[in-house]
Amino acid sequence: MGKASSSSTAQDALALFDSFRSAYSATPTTLKIIDLYIGFAVSTALIQVVYMALVGSFPFNSFLSGVLSCVGTAVLAVCLRIQVNKENKEFKDLAPERAFADFVLCNVVLHLVIMNFLG
Amino acid sequence: MSKLVGVLAFLTLTLPFLAHSFSPDHPTDRRVLVLLDDLAVKSSHSLFFKSLQSRGFELDFKLADDPKISLQRYGLYSYDALILFSPSVDRFGGSIDLAAILDFVDSGHDLIIAADTHASDLIRQIAVECGVDFDEDPAAMVIDHTSYAVSDTEGDHTVIASDDFIKSDVILGSEKIEAPVLFQGIGHTVNSENSLVLKVLSASPSAYSSNPKSKLSNPPSLTGSAISLVSVVQARNNARVLISGSLSLFSDRFFRSKMQKAGSSKKHEKSANEQFLTELSKWVFHERGHLKAVNVKHQRVGEADEPAIYRINDDLEYSVEIYEWRGQRWEPYVADDLQVQFYMMSPYVLKTLSTDQKGRYFTEFRVPDVYGVFQFKVEYKRLGYTSLSLSKQIPVRPFRHNEYERFIPAAYPYYGAAFSMMTGFFVFTAVHLYNK
Repeated sequence: MGKASSSSTAQDALALFDSFRSAYSATPTTLKIIDLYIGFAVSTALIQVVYMALVGSFPFNSFLSGVLSCVGTAVLAVCLRIQVNKENKEFKDLAPERAFADFVLCNVVLHLVIMNFLG
Repeated sequence: MSKLVGVLAFLTLTLPFLAHSFSPDHPTDRRVLVLLDDLAVKSSHSLFFKSLQSRGFELDFKLADDPKISLQRYGLYSYDALILFSPSVDRFGGSIDLAAILDFVDSGHDLIIAADTHASDLIRQIAVECGVDFDEDPAAMVIDHTSYAVSDTEGDHTVIASDDFIKSDVILGSEKIEAPVLFQGIGHTVNSENSLVLKVLSASPSAYSSNPKSKLSNPPSLTGSAISLVSVVQARNNARVLISGSLSLFSDRFFRSKMQKAGSSKKHEKSANEQFLTELSKWVFHERGHLKAVNVKHQRVGEADEPAIYRINDDLEYSVEIYEWRGQRWEPYVADDLQVQFYMMSPYVLKTLSTDQKGRYFTEFRVPDVYGVFQFKVEYKRLGYTSLSLSKQIPVRPFRHNEYERFIPAAYPYYGAAFSMMTGFFVFTAVHLYNK
């Protein structure tokens, strides 16, 4: 009974993963690049949190600015992804060029702040 | 004319030195006004007065109703201390009244009051103002049927032999008082909430206060060791007051009498009155237990000058010198319980000072990681000693912008992350635009 249910769970997970992969392969390359970029930012943030847990929080301002630069980057990239996604009807009036310009401006501001706070 | 100017100049220059309360700058040359009911007291209590005179006090004997007596002249006190050996006076002569005596104490001068049976309301009022309540019955005396002084005639046991002293070397001297003290007079109580009043000599648990001539019909209002025979007060301004319910306590007769306490086979050659009152008067007149603090210094470790401001996490040294007046000179005060506080609303640092046994106390500590206006505080209150309360204000500032540590090795991963995010941004921008 237990064995049957666990094997069926594994099969369900596999089926879910397969359906996700097939659906994701239909995603435009632009969005895939953004996803990769978000993944890079989030994993950098995670590495820093682990590092902080090991080494201690001494230069706390540096830790905060390092992690927040990653988190900020990821959030801005998510915003860009929402706005340039053609299937998203909410932003159909907004030109992707305009969305990208917003993204660049926000990033410049973010990194200025991070540089000041990095110590 | 020029002569007159010279005299005036001389007077204005010398007047301030003629009289003063005990002050660390002029501890010697002290003038005492002694007010008596009867000049006979001068000879019947001569041993006590002689012990004061031999210690350098200038006694000025006056009758309490002398119309010319006054404590002040031209707004300056002519005396440093006052002895009231006039238990029955209803009104002082001259300008002295209750308010004048309280002002005298409030300005830091010392006072000795001896009351007796039938003490006047004025004396009782002065005592009440000092935190001491005498038995309200004017004819009452302290009676003790177990620890009275044995005499040839079977008396009414009003001459009591008391040896319940306060345990304080600074008030009663380091030499142990072997014999009991003879006491004949009225008892008083002290308010237990008043921390400034101390019972120096208490009655034994079997004592009570009542009229010895009448039959005891009601239970006495004052009984047992709640009765204080001799009390002292040290006011917040360090003025000291001695209140005794007996004038004969100070008399030559009691100073010199052989005595035996009831129930004890030990015969004493003389009572302890002389030792007790000599030591106690030394305390009251600041010959013992008066502390002064000088040379309060603080600086950064390794520097000589006192800075106007500290930075957080500075290491600093604090030192102070404390001396005790010993009648003739200032001697180093040695203790191991002196503490300094680094205080802002609450003590951030509380450290016990080390001493070099020569009066200097010192310590080192680190300024806390908090900025604001701090104080160095020393609050030293010990039984019998004058209270020391030093405070010195000092601001503490945070790091300046250029005083922070840069390029900390432990922070390199964070720097790397921030810069890799920037590089990532450029790369992503290029890829995103090229991909269009």
